[in-house]
Amino acid sequence: MILPHRALPLFRLALAAAMLAGASATAQQVTLERDSPLYAEPRLDASQVAQLKTGATGEVTGKQGAWLNLRTAGGSGWLFSFNVRFPSQQTGTSDSGTGSAAGRLFGSPRGVSVTSTIGIRGLGEEDLKEASFNAGQMKLLDGYAVTKEAAERDARAAGFAPVSVDYLDAKK
Amino acid sequence: MTGRRWIVVAFAASVSGLAAAASLDLGRLFDVGRDLRTATAGVDEPEEIAVGREVAGRTLGAAPLVPDPELQAYVNRVGRWIALQSERPDLPWHFGVIDTASINAFAAPGGYVLITRGLYESLSSEAQLAGVLGHEIGHIVQRHHIKVMQQSAAVSAGARAIQRSDRGVLANNLIGTGAEVMARGLDKSAEFEADRIGVVLAARAGYSPYGLVEVLHILAARSADDASLALLFKTHPAPGERLTQLGDALAPRVAALPAGKEPALRPVDPKTPPPVAAKPAAAEGARALQQEEGGTTIPSGASPLPGGGGGILRGIFGR
Repeated sequence: MILPHRALPLFRLALAAAMLAGASATAQQVTLERDSPLYAEPRLDASQVAQLKTGATGEVTGKQGAWLNLRTAGGSGWLFSFNVRFPSQQTGTSDSGTGSAAGRLFGSPRGVSVTSTIGIRGLGEEDLKEASFNAGQMKLLDGYAVTKEAAERDARAAGFAPVSVDYLDAKK
Repeated sequence: MTGRRWIVVAFAASVSGLAAAASLDLGRLFDVGRDLRTATAGVDEPEEIAVGREVAGRTLGAAPLVPDPELQAYVNRVGRWIALQSERPDLPWHFGVIDTASINAFAAPGGYVLITRGLYESLSSEAQLAGVLGHEIGHIVQRHHIKVMQQSAAVSAGARAIQRSDRGVLANNLIGTGAEVMARGLDKSAEFEADRIGVVLAARAGYSPYGLVEVLHILAARSADDASLALLFKTHPAPGERLTQLGDALAPRVAALPAGKEPALRPVDPKTPPPVAAKPAAAEGARALQQEEGGTTIPSGASPLPGGGGGILRGIFGR
């Protein structure tokens, strides 16, 4: 589809809305993993809309950084995404239809899903144990490597610059 | 034997007889003892790189690179830029996408990072890729696998006494059979640490710090009996547990972390054929067949809109 440049933001908004509307209500539902405040804005110092309990559910309507926008029985607001879990996708053993849904689930937006390859369980423990050195593949791998100068030049050309961020401490 | 090596042996012997035996073995294998610090660590950087190269080469023997040179170059550009933000920017970093439907990523010592096509195609932004690569880079920067290899080498030191003169056998004892070291799990604490490092390295590189969080949400929503995740789930703490740990570490810093960029992810060339199976597994293969029967690849260009419940994560975390 070719759209005039100025129509793109509107198109994206419509697409996002369609994506959210297209999923069934149960699928958008997340469950709280722990008691959490629901904030009016995606900031810790924003006012609290509600205090939600573990096990409470809400409907996801958007995201921003670490935050999810939720619609809950107690009101709408923002919640840390770490504090919720999305419903687990059941791959039924007898219902072949659910298997294909899982295969499509997280495929790239272009829609090519390698996980739908029939009858193949992929790289397992035994394959790794039995593996022997492949010199030809290593030569290819070496050929794809880039120098740090090239990586830095390309990153900066794409608008990236190093940001100072301290390492995180483990919770004591 | 140099004077320095005597110091090493004396130091090790003072710890325990077993440690002394291991130190002697590693000393013969790698000619350590150049200085006390690297010698007590057992494996210095050139040797770490040599071990990692062997492990990476064997892993590629199990699953080759996806035949898409542009994709491989892209992943190397992204990965190297992220690795530059670490404490070990000058390692010979190599990144590759390997051609298997399994969902996983591997770090071999010395700077070798391999991500499976199954995981790559589950991602929807470069920030998510940055989080995954940052996690693996974290394992390498912290030498997690080398530490595990040394521990298992120490345990079997006595049993290997008669093989001490054979370098090849000893190398195998350190690395193990084939690339089985890649199928061995690390401590949970090492995985949590790599998650924390991955978030920070991605953020330092200018990406959204939350790409890895999104990937963990995607993994957490996959069924526990999903065959493509069997090895990942065996070797890592549950994604939900990783989310909780990472959330606890991140929460106090959320307000201060930069928003970062979330560029689109370069797709695998649609002309690339699906992964070739090494061989179908008997029991697991039958189950997978049953699960996947009727499952079809969505034609390229088909609507990305989610038709079922599963699309929601892509809707939220996708472009």
